[in-house]
Amino acid sequence: MFGKQENSMAHQHAGSETIIAQGVKVEGDFKSNGDITIDGELNGSLQTSAALHVGESAVIHAEVSAKQSVIAGVIVGNLQIEDGLQLLSTSQVTGDIVTSHLSIAEGAVVNGRISMGKKE
Amino acid sequence: MYCYLYDDFIQGNKRFEKELALIENRLTDLGINGKISRLALFRNAEEMIRDEIDKGVTTVVVLGNDDTVRKVLNVVVESQVVFGMIPLGPKNQLAELLGIPEGVAACDILSARRLETIVIGTVNGRKFITGINVPQFRAEITFEEKFRVFPTSTAELEIRNLVGASNPSEGMLQAVIRADVKRGIFQRSTKEESILPLQSMTIRSEKPIQVFADGEQMEGTRFDISIEPLKMRVITGKNRQFDT
Repeated sequence: MFGKQENSMAHQHAGSETIIAQGVKVEGDFKSNGDITIDGELNGSLQTSAALHVGESAVIHAEVSAKQSVIAGVIVGNLQIEDGLQLLSTSQVTGDIVTSHLSIAEGAVVNGRISMGKKE
Repeated sequence: MYCYLYDDFIQGNKRFEKELALIENRLTDLGINGKISRLALFRNAEEMIRDEIDKGVTTVVVLGNDDTVRKVLNVVVESQVVFGMIPLGPKNQLAELLGIPEGVAACDILSARRLETIVIGTVNGRKFITGINVPQFRAEITFEEKFRVFPTSTAELEIRNLVGASNPSEGMLQAVIRADVKRGIFQRSTKEESILPLQSMTIRSEKPIQVFADGEQMEGTRFDISIEPLKMRVITGKNRQFDT
């Protein structure tokens, strides 16, 4: 129905919130312009120009890029968070982190390099 | 110019006789009476409407229910005429969403002519307005040919067009997946709701599944869902159940 170019733009035009709840698994390149909440599983890549919330039950194997993020679940992959990253006490991150502002709660696990400041 | 399409189930039915007389009088009082076309067995609704549009009709109003709308949806969208309805009888989900009351009260809504533009979805080439339901869902969904989504247990899938869609004139549908998740020591099952905005998606299943588009059943192993390039102009009431 639609050409390939229009398809590739589809989720980038989505300004509304996306929720991936428990009981659902996502595989592939997930892009959005809206807020994303993940409580389920995701493998691939994850990119949003808005906020990303990763719940306690979430398991993500992906390169992650977002404007700001609060993480309570498991992420295996590099994180690039433009404005601010909050790692809650239940979070487990295995990968490098690039962000401008970082907050790490007691109990959070981080295995990887942390770079503060915006990426060149 | 208005054309009023009477579905065959309301004609010669004592239950609607009085209401139809009231409707016809009210339409005349409001100055929006027009040509009346009556559906009947072996009469093709699309051909009837197409003939009226060729004669200059610019607004098509159906008197009936969701099934009546389905009969004329293709020609109304393709001809880009304004669509209105006077709901009669049961199965009037679309009228509820559009904020149109049943029977003679709908005439004043038509007269006020509050127009909204909404997007139309298609599933395997068949148009739908309100949405799609897949009650027993254990299949793979590919969104925008970019990523795949699987429920890890039995789930229900609903694709919403008007209600829930971020803006029905903007060109986005909304997929809602309700998956069973077991929690706690008693493994109580709860439904967890995932929500994804979309413009196109494909449902693939190894076994045939049942899909209900605007309440009409379809069966198959693959369903391609997208948005029609043409939008539809509809007359709505102030109590419509979607935002624009």
